[in-house]
Formats: sequence, structure tokens, C-alpha cells
Amino acid sequence: MDENLKSELRKQGIVATTLQELYNWGRKNSLWPLNFGLACCAIEMIAASMARYDMARFGAEVFRPSPRQADLMIVAGTVTKKMAPQVVRLYNQMAEPKYVISMGACAISGGPFKQGYNVLKGIDRYIPVDVYIPGCPPRPEALIDALMTLQKMIDRQPLTGPDRPRHLQADAPSEFIVPEFGAHDLDPSQNPEVWQAPLVNISLAGTDDAGND
Amino acid sequence: MTNSPYLPVIVLLLAAVAFAVGPLALAWVWAWKFSPRKPGPSKNAIYECGLESKGDAWVQFHPGYYLYAIIFLVFDVEAVFLLPFAVAFTGLTLGAGIAMLVFLLLLVEGLVWAWQKNVLIWS
Amino acid sequence: MTLETIESEIEANVPGCVLEIVSNPSPSGQHSLRIDPAHAVAIATFLRDAEPLRLDYCSNVTGVDWPGKEISEKVKIKKLVDGVEQEVEEVRKTQTLGHLEVVYHLYSMEKKHGPVILRMSTEDRADRVHLPSLTPVWRSAEFQEREIFDLYGVIFDGHPDLRRILMWDGFQDHPMRRDYVEPDDFEYEPTPHDEVLERARQHRTIMGVQ
Repeated sequence: MDENLKSELRKQGIVATTLQELYNWGRKNSLWPLNFGLACCAIEMIAASMARYDMARFGAEVFRPSPRQADLMIVAGTVTKKMAPQVVRLYNQMAEPKYVISMGACAISGGPFKQGYNVLKGIDRYIPVDVYIPGCPPRPEALIDALMTLQKMIDRQPLTGPDRPRHLQADAPSEFIVPEFGAHDLDPSQNPEVWQAPLVNISLAGTDDAGND
Repeated sequence: MTNSPYLPVIVLLLAAVAFAVGPLALAWVWAWKFSPRKPGPSKNAIYECGLESKGDAWVQFHPGYYLYAIIFLVFDVEAVFLLPFAVAFTGLTLGAGIAMLVFLLLLVEGLVWAWQKNVLIWS
Repeated sequence: MTLETIESEIEANVPGCVLEIVSNPSPSGQHSLRIDPAHAVAIATFLRDAEPLRLDYCSNVTGVDWPGKEISEKVKIKKLVDGVEQEVEEVRKTQTLGHLEVVYHLYSMEKKHGPVILRMSTEDRADRVHLPSLTPVWRSAEFQEREIFDLYGVIFDGHPDLRRILMWDGFQDHPMRRDYVEPDDFEYEPTPHDEVLERARQHRTIMGVQ
């Protein structure tokens, strides 16, 4: 349907829509996060859900204590190697469709603990992350911005065709490898289906235009 | 039949059932048409806060919980009976007071019995 | 009470113990007392219970790793050079074993003084890493001794529950030791330098990329 006609009808009090739009509209406005926090970012997440910042405006106020009822995993805080299998397992136990917001420097890359022996250098090594929020910790506004970004992403997802989201594809995986505790590190140390280390162009190291090759 | 006074009730009942079942059926049809089922060992496992699940979700509880709950309930109900008694206390006769005392003593006797049976000791 | 008087008090009351004052030349001047592991529990009990000290609070237990180092010394030896006996200087290199050290910080809540710092060393860093646990004396040492066991590999004899506390049970390394080799967690940064650049190079050779 023509966009102009649609907005013209809307002025007359008639809402015309497609099934896809209706479906995505319903999904994006009922993103229920999983109720868990790992470190200080979780405090900001709690603040974002309370009256001052009020995530309820976006339909995301119902923090579910069980992964069976949650759509959105907010990885809020440092993921230690000891905690990583539990986070991945919780993600696996969530019902499709499911989304992940990687909140804060630690969840993205290990952050200030990147050089540490016990911190996972980014949860995206094991599960697919949809939105990253930098910050240490990010302010509640940043979390709300991430939520809105995710809503826009959901709004653009087509119902059919090769670009349809993962939960509508029968052969796309719903579970990802849960790492096990090895003798020296987690085993495997990353899920190659989800993440591969970008190789740094060493010959350009030290110069400004050294980037991924 | 058309004049039956129950007709509106039946119509409303059907509407209510349709209201409840309709969205569920729609969701089911939608899932059948678009969203494939994706069960898996990790997804179907018993939820244990992300830890590897061990055993069954059906577990037995200590019988002490039930005994505690029953004793609590007895004295809870006693409070319910005591309240109207206390409100009307000044207008009551001696007989009513004695009856209440007997009631309380009966309950206290039960408590003493439970005490004698070591129910109050958590082990 | 100075550390010297504490030392003489302990020597008078715990027969046979070997003590040594380790002086700290920094401005803080927190000198410490090295005690021998064989008498550690007796010394600790004395420090906790004896009337003038009453060090009833162990605030902190720390580990230190002293890796073995190569000591080269010049030795004059007599040697036959061209049939004539001559004195020749030779450099002799010896490898020390290194050791692990545990440091206890003690305070007295009752007398309001402290800290008194105790040190204990293991014999080496490989298999003779046993030290007596002071958890029976100060309960607050329990988790911190577990942490030292986890991160440095000191085995505390007499500890009530010696398990790893930060890393998982199957973990085999001791991450705070100086020779700990981290797993190949590739540090991908757009502008690597120094150590990170070195690791990036190593990673590329491992991955077979030039």
C-alpha cells in the first residue's frame, strides 16, 4: 500500500497496516527482559526500570525471573569465565524469538578486566549479540537507547524471505555451545559459528590506519 | 426458544469463550504457519538458574514443613475466632467467657501434645 | 611495642622458633617478621592470646611469588694454564629455586594497636609448597588462604576446607604466579603495541597467518 495513502487514511481515523507490521509492532513493544545482573551495570539496569527512567514506556518493564518467559537478555556486567557457561545456558533456555543486549564495556570485551585471567573477553564469543552499549557502566539513558535501537531492528525484520529473523528459520540454531570448564581455559574458548577473532594488520601496527585486514 | 431469558447469557458466554480461546488459537495457527519449533536438550532442561540441572523437578519436602504449617493454621484460625470475641467482650456473659477459655485450652492442649511429640524441634 | 621486643617475647615463649626481622626501607617502614613454618601455629597462638599483644584480628593474608633467578658471581679459582698454575676469574652461574611467600597482617581490636606483619616462605615453587594454615588461629584467614591456594598454589596444611575459591575446580594453573601463561585469548586491537603486539604476532603464527 502506498505510504501517502496510508498516512492520508490515518488522518481520517482509518489505520491500514500489513500483517508483518502488526506482528513486529506487537513484538517490539513487549520485550520482556530476563531478570538477572552480573555486576555494577545491573544497578543501572534496575535504575532504568524504575520510575525516573521508566523502561515500562517501551513495554519492557516486566523483568521475568524465568528464561521461559523472557525475550531479551541484558548481559549487564562482567562475565567471568566461571559464570559464562551459566549465561550461555540461560540464553539457550530462553524461548524464541530472543535478543541480547551486551551492556557495558565488560560484557562487550572484558573492559578494564580484559587482561585478567578470569574474565571472558566479551559475551559475543558464545552467543549472538544484537545491540552493544559501551560505557562503564552505561547510563540508564544508554540502555533505553539500546532498547529503542532493538525495537527499530525488530520493526525492520521481514516475515518471509531469506532475511527473515532466526526464530522463523527452521534450520537456524536456537541453542549454542555451552562452554565447559577446561584445565587452562573454557573449552571451547569461543564459538566459531558466532564469533571469530578479527586479525589485526600487524604490518601497520603503530600507525593510525592500522585496521582489520 | 427465541424468547428464552437465558439467550443473552448464552450469547455472552460464547463471546467470552471465543475471547479467551480466539487469541490462543490465532497464536497457535501463527506458530504452525511461521515459527518452527526448536526444542533442544539445554532448552528442555529443568531451569536451575543456569546451572546444569540435576535430578527431577519433583522433589520431596521435609514433613516438618507440613506439621509447622498445620500448627500455624490452627492458631491462625484461633485468632479469627478470638477477634469477634474480643470486640464484643464487654457485653458477654460469664458463660461465653468460660466457653472461650475451654476453646483456648483445647488448642493449647494440642500445642502441648505437639510439643511432647518433639514436633517443634527442627531436625 | 616495637618489632624487636615482639621478637624477643616470642623467642622467650616459643622455644626453638627461628625468627627474622625483614626491614622495609620505604617511607611507610612497615617491618615484618619472618617466622619458620614449623612453629607458625605456636607463634600465632601466642601472638593472639598473650596478654601484652592480643592480636585478635587477622585483617589480610597475601601471597607473594618470588621466582627463581640466576645469580652470577665471579669466583677466583686456580687452574693450570700452559703448565703454569694461575689464578683465573670465572663467572659461575647458579639458579635459585625461588619460593612462595605468605604475608599475614595482624591487628588487635582489644588493645587497638597494629599492624604486626608475619611472613612465611615455602621451600621452593614446585612441590615443596606446604605451609601450616593459620585458619585454626584466626578464622578470618580461611577464605584468603583458599584464595592464595587458588592463585599461587600454596598448600595450607590444617586448613578446614582447602578448595579453589575463584577459579573452577578443574583449573590447573595458578594465575598470580609470575610464570603463568595465559590461554591464547587473542587481544584484537586496531593499534596493538608492546606486549599486545607481541601476542598478536604469536597468535598469527599459531593461526598460520603471515
